[in-house]
Amino acid sequence: MNGHQKSWPIILVITILSAPLVLAYAYLFVDTITNSPPGSVVPHEFTLEHWSFLWQTRPGRLSIWRVTLNSLLFATTSAALVVVVSSMAGYVLSRLNVPGRSFFLAGVMLLHAFPAITLIVAIFIVLQMVGLYNSLIGVILVKAAIDMPLGIWLMKGFYDTVPWEIEMAGIQDGASRFTVWRKLVLPQVRPGIFALALFAFLLAWGEFILPQVLAPSGNAQVLSVYLASLIADDNNFDMALFKSVGLFYIAPVLVLFFVFQNYLMNIYGGGTKG
Amino acid sequence: MDASRDKTGLPPASGGAGRAPARRRLGLLDSSRGLGVLLLLPALVLVILFFLMPVVLTGVFAFTNMSTATGISGGAHQVSPGSLRVLTERYGMGELAERLGQPTYLVDERGLAALEETGIAPGIVASLRRGHLDESFASRREFERAIRALPDRPDTRTVKRISDAFSRSLANARFTDAGALVAAAEAIDPDLTPEEKDALASATYTGWSWTTDNFRRLTSSRDTTRVFFNTLFFVAMTLVFFNIGYAMFLAIATHYMPERPAGIFRIVWFLPRISPVVIYVLLWKWVAWDTGFLNAVLSDFGVRPRNWMLDSATQAWFFVIMINGFVGASMGMLIFASAIKAIPETHFHAASVDGAYRWQQVRHIILPQLKWPILFVTCYQTLSLLTSIEQTLLATDGGPGGATEVWSLWIYHTALNNYAGNLQYGYGAAMALVLVVIGIVLSLIYLRLFNYNALITRPRIEL
Repeated sequence: MNGHQKSWPIILVITILSAPLVLAYAYLFVDTITNSPPGSVVPHEFTLEHWSFLWQTRPGRLSIWRVTLNSLLFATTSAALVVVVSSMAGYVLSRLNVPGRSFFLAGVMLLHAFPAITLIVAIFIVLQMVGLYNSLIGVILVKAAIDMPLGIWLMKGFYDTVPWEIEMAGIQDGASRFTVWRKLVLPQVRPGIFALALFAFLLAWGEFILPQVLAPSGNAQVLSVYLASLIADDNNFDMALFKSVGLFYIAPVLVLFFVFQNYLMNIYGGGTKG
Repeated sequence: MDASRDKTGLPPASGGAGRAPARRRLGLLDSSRGLGVLLLLPALVLVILFFLMPVVLTGVFAFTNMSTATGISGGAHQVSPGSLRVLTERYGMGELAERLGQPTYLVDERGLAALEETGIAPGIVASLRRGHLDESFASRREFERAIRALPDRPDTRTVKRISDAFSRSLANARFTDAGALVAAAEAIDPDLTPEEKDALASATYTGWSWTTDNFRRLTSSRDTTRVFFNTLFFVAMTLVFFNIGYAMFLAIATHYMPERPAGIFRIVWFLPRISPVVIYVLLWKWVAWDTGFLNAVLSDFGVRPRNWMLDSATQAWFFVIMINGFVGASMGMLIFASAIKAIPETHFHAASVDGAYRWQQVRHIILPQLKWPILFVTCYQTLSLLTSIEQTLLATDGGPGGATEVWSLWIYHTALNNYAGNLQYGYGAAMALVLVVIGIVLSLIYLRLFNYNALITRPRIEL
């Protein structure tokens, strides 16, 4: 772009503005393996004591591994649900001639824009009525349903880029519409499916308010709720412990994000909530 | 059909699981319409269960007084001091309430039969029948004195068992339905009028009932105005300063930078969005905490340590808006950046030749091109900020003293989690209904504005 030679003032300004953010994330790493004297931010000794939560379970709390397993289960299952349902419905909206297609498409857009979190009071009561309160199944279903409109919309976009000729050829050769979808079109959108799966996984992994409200205690606790309850406990204030659990929790997110950045940026650019 | 399918030279199926149903439902799967309905079905089920039904139910629950106290399933009938007070005050049946509230002990055949079954000495039962049949006592003490006076001289445990068997008091008794309650009341007072029965049944009901009080409360409460203006302030400030303003600055600034640093800064400003919200807010707490980063740095300058996030309402707002704004800025940044990228290079070159300064380029070339992206981000973020709850909940929890309580957080505190422990589901649903209606209206406008119907292409294979 033009004017590169004069870009340093802008870089300076944005560096100063970004510094607190970078510093905060840098200290997320530093503070978990060091101790600092009180009233200072410069560490003076190396330690691993803050990571003892990995092998010591505190009384009255679930083991970190159990909680991690719950989080994994929650994130993978809801991502799988989103992918399966969206890759089916997205194809219909992209290609098939169903009655009321444009109505469905508008509906998906509406649902995507609609803030589903406002329904949480009703969902909370219903889950209590049907006995799915405080269970992983309930939260998984709710999370998958809330992320689904975005999934359908993305999958429709991916299907739209598949050339019609592929399907035409398949149909001319006598394959059913189902076979064409299953064996010709699905392989074409595999990168899209992968991106959506990754994205839905990260969304569920970071989700806090749904498990906090719908499955706050008992054996269904996930990492976000576990960490929030640690922080909320005024009797055991230990910032280094919070950060260690936090780093343990955020590490997979950072790794996945940096490895698959290019996949994810497209989706984030398409407009997600925040 | 089946035979010809083998000749199509299709790539091998990755799973092959779909083949069996494909053969069975060939007719359905072969037509665009049949397959379409089939593939849409799971999505439809989820939409009905988790969108349509909750929307309707939010409206339904908003007209009830459901709370932790009433429970969410049907209630029971309990004669408590509270329900007797209701009977006195609301129905003017103080006399009835007094009669029901008094413990009564009635020696009758029913009680005697029950006593015999518990395996008590037959002599006691016989002497009770002989001496006290059809006699009633107004208090436990009086009755137990009479039992002790029996020739058999029962021990204290037996006395208690006997008096329990003849207790006909309704105080604190619990009945699963109105019929059982009325029957029990008639055992004490056989001449209840139908009005008295109805009043008793409704005064002792512990379950939820239909009401419009939630809306009356919502429109008359002073909290409503306060929370409403809090929400307005929060959405407007975050939107203007961060989701649009700062996002625009980031997009334009990275545009005028070499590719490499631009990419780095975009990733840095993306961290708040990809980080799980609990950790992201934890980092802010670490910055603001009494023994946190800010205090450690400022103590060298002699600033008194404090919790910067909760010290005053102004500071709390400052942090709440920043915490939410940093997350929102990344979305605007991406959308604006890609819109700027779409502006033809020649526009910039022409401007450079004309000697336009960078600020003029921004004003006359970039900003006019961003009209639609800005509208898009504004619409989108207004909705998501209106309903944003996680960041504020974790950061200030509405504090200090309710200063940063916004509408969605208010719902949470009313219906889902509070210190008092009495969750008012019905009232919370009424509050949520307001947001649901706003959400539906705004997303309809949003749909209209960006005309998504234009994106639909007609299917080219009509089967």
